[in-house]
Amino acid sequence: MLKRVLKVSGSLLLVLALVGLFSHGVFNVRGSDGASSSVGEADVAIRRAFNATLEAERAGANVSGLILRLNEAGGLLGEAEIALENGNSSEAANKAGQCVGIAESVRSDADALKASALNEAQTVFWTYLAFSVVGIAVFVVVLVLVWRRFKNGYVGKTLGMKPEVAHDEA
Amino acid sequence: MKLEDYKVVFVAVGLICILLLAVPALSLAVHFPEGEKFSELWVLGSGHMAGDYPFNVNENGSYLVYLGVENHLSSSAYYEVILKFRNESEPLPNETAGVSSSSPPLYVYRVFLQDGQSWEQPLNFSFFQVSAAQNQSVVGGLTVNGVTLSVDKHAVWDDGGSGYFYELLMELWIYNVTSDASQFHNRFVGLWLNVTAA
Repeated sequence: MLKRVLKVSGSLLLVLALVGLFSHGVFNVRGSDGASSSVGEADVAIRRAFNATLEAERAGANVSGLILRLNEAGGLLGEAEIALENGNSSEAANKAGQCVGIAESVRSDADALKASALNEAQTVFWTYLAFSVVGIAVFVVVLVLVWRRFKNGYVGKTLGMKPEVAHDEA
Repeated sequence: MKLEDYKVVFVAVGLICILLLAVPALSLAVHFPEGEKFSELWVLGSGHMAGDYPFNVNENGSYLVYLGVENHLSSSAYYEVILKFRNESEPLPNETAGVSSSSPPLYVYRVFLQDGQSWEQPLNFSFFQVSAAQNQSVVGGLTVNGVTLSVDKHAVWDDGGSGYFYELLMELWIYNVTSDASQFHNRFVGLWLNVTAA
């Protein structure tokens, strides 16, 4: 009887050990897959953040602060990739998560900077245009007035001249 | 001077002044041509000069060079400096076709630079598991900035240079917004190394 119980217990332990081993492998693979997809997401997030930064720059915004933060995010992505390669899934996922956080904040700041820069550019456009148009109009009117005054003065001066009589000494 | 001559002077002065007043509005529409657009990639020796590069290296040593990138593309750029390790038989990047080396990337620096900005970082490296036998050497691994990388690269004895030669290759890649992918930027620098066991 004892022998039988021991045999059954042994089999049970073996089955449990096998199940444990198998499930450990499954969880490990899942952990690695999760970290790998986190690193992929971080890569995409960085690219999107850079695109938004570039658009803000083209709109005329000062993006030096965003570039600094993008460099920080790039460093974290590199660290996540190295951790993933070394099999450290939790660190890889953690670094990738930090990278995504920075990249997303850069993206939203870049969008806000772009909107503000576009607004400012529009104001500058209308100011410059108004200055040129009004300036030219005023100048032309002043020039015409000055010319008329000058012309009248010139004609008057010419008409008011007395003819000089030349005497022939001989 | 006759009245007609004064008229010419008035018209000339008027046109010049109108042109000056139109400058702010014209500046919004007229864009002057930009200069040449390019990117720079360089590697400097441990003294921060274009010299004193490591050449005869062994398993026990630790070596330092400086890697730099400068942006002259008239806009911000997202660069990747990709470190590769090759032997003499593996192909170099093809500059004519704009194709990178087929060696696998070992280490990547990600760099974001505004126009006119430059970046420089130290590159510390050392080798491990180096062995040589029967005119063939093997480098098992490489440590770059404290990160251990497995390379398992073979080289045959070079009679001309009397050594086992490997090249530490640094390629410049750039992110292309249109294709949403990084692409080889057709710039690379390499360090030839005669790697020996301790």
